[in-house]
Amino acid sequence: MRKVAVTGIGHTVFGNLSEFDLVDVMAFASADALDDAGIREERGIIDQVVVANMGGGMLNHQTGIASSLVSRLKLEPAMAELVENGPASGGSAVKMGYAVIASEIADVVMVTGGEIMRGVPGWEGTDFVATLLHPEAEYSYGLTLPAFGAMFTRLYMERFGLTERDLALIAVKDHENGAKNPFAHVQVPCTIEGIHDGPDANVVNNYIAEPLRLYSMCPVSDGAASIILCAADSPKMKYFKKKGPVFITGVGSASDTHCVHEREYPLDLKAVKLSGERAFTMAGLSPKDISCAELHDAFVILEVAISEELGFFERGGYKEAVQKGKTRIDGTLPINTSGGLKSKGHPLGATGVSQVHELVKQLRGEAEKGRQVKNPKHGLAVNFGGFGNNVVTTICSKEE
Amino acid sequence: MIDFYAYKPKEAKVFAFKCPECGTLHYPATMICKKCSTRRDPSGVLFSSWEKVPMGGKCKLLTWTRVYNLPAGFTDRYLLFGIVEFENGLCASGRLLVENPKTGMELNANAGLVREGIDEDIYGFMFET
Repeated sequence: MRKVAVTGIGHTVFGNLSEFDLVDVMAFASADALDDAGIREERGIIDQVVVANMGGGMLNHQTGIASSLVSRLKLEPAMAELVENGPASGGSAVKMGYAVIASEIADVVMVTGGEIMRGVPGWEGTDFVATLLHPEAEYSYGLTLPAFGAMFTRLYMERFGLTERDLALIAVKDHENGAKNPFAHVQVPCTIEGIHDGPDANVVNNYIAEPLRLYSMCPVSDGAASIILCAADSPKMKYFKKKGPVFITGVGSASDTHCVHEREYPLDLKAVKLSGERAFTMAGLSPKDISCAELHDAFVILEVAISEELGFFERGGYKEAVQKGKTRIDGTLPINTSGGLKSKGHPLGATGVSQVHELVKQLRGEAEKGRQVKNPKHGLAVNFGGFGNNVVTTICSKEE
Repeated sequence: MIDFYAYKPKEAKVFAFKCPECGTLHYPATMICKKCSTRRDPSGVLFSSWEKVPMGGKCKLLTWTRVYNLPAGFTDRYLLFGIVEFENGLCASGRLLVENPKTGMELNANAGLVREGIDEDIYGFMFET
């Protein structure tokens, strides 16, 4: 297969962008990626645009978003398609972009993910995301993704002795990173006293879905992220001289049962494990080779469970890792250096692309002061769809 | 015409679907048996529509939550939800009607109204002691 390089990255701030048009927000991040790659004037070299979005039709009353984005950027006659894979849409779009180049359909691909969710009330947004659950066996009850995150968390806590304080420590670590990320939705640090140990913690950090609290889950965010990919063997690589390329060396995805209750053991996230194994095999790497990871912590328990499924820690071992600071920027395996979904935010379709954006930034050595990992070689991102029923893992590397 | 909505619980019962070839129970319904790959046809025209087996009765609570931020369509201050395992090995999610639940507790599952629709009420599991 052809080698695929990431040659440009772009990002909007995540937060409340509901006053802006969805496609404009995506186009802004895309234009940033063009500028980062140094090809705004030569953007006609882009053969294909892959767009990731989950809610444009339901939340923004917009369809045909890929065509609209191409026109907004004046990229016609580039090929253009939309990828919708729930909250894993971004990771899937990166995978599609990779596949289009690897299979020689195109040489240069722009992958842009974006979402505007805050234009509707919270309960409507929650209901929208819940539509990815099984319509009769789950959604009809009023079950939501936070409800499943909470039930998963309770099982994990009872099985492995994880405490609410451990969950709060993860949030503190994520906010410490997010506070230094200019794209993060919540650029404010928090303390363990403020959200767990202190007398006002129950007020500041109230229950949303027991045992999950406000600081156990990500905010609802708007925003977009974009990357530009090019075949390493293409003559078009000559246009990308501005910055050294980072390579996508591993891509894997997998699915699991639609209904959570159908799984043999409810704490197994088989799609995470399998997508990770596929990506590691493709890259010829193992968990110990990874310098930093962006893991889909829509609920902080997922940072715990995903890292263990991937083999970064043994089952039940993340607890000790977070208590000892192993996953901080200066730890042995920095996780969610961007702040993760917890602090950076989670505009569904944008998230998977944003994770790769962060890996590229880290591998280039361009992360902001205080959150740059020391000499990273390989970064890994897990984008988690549904409640683990569709997962995409991407590995990026500095060297071929 | 194939009625793809035939599996909707339109009465105050929740059903599992039994493969006519190997007897495996499925909840919710699948279009192909997970064990022997026999096809199901909801209309019963081309293939069997499979026997509908009422679910309910004794079950064990596997995990639960109390949710305060409910989606559109619900006005309660909070609702409790749980995942249970029935004696036949099938599992299901549903509404939990126990104020102070404990993981592992024995429960009884009945069907009840879980969501009021404009043209159709939806029934599902209510787990209670």
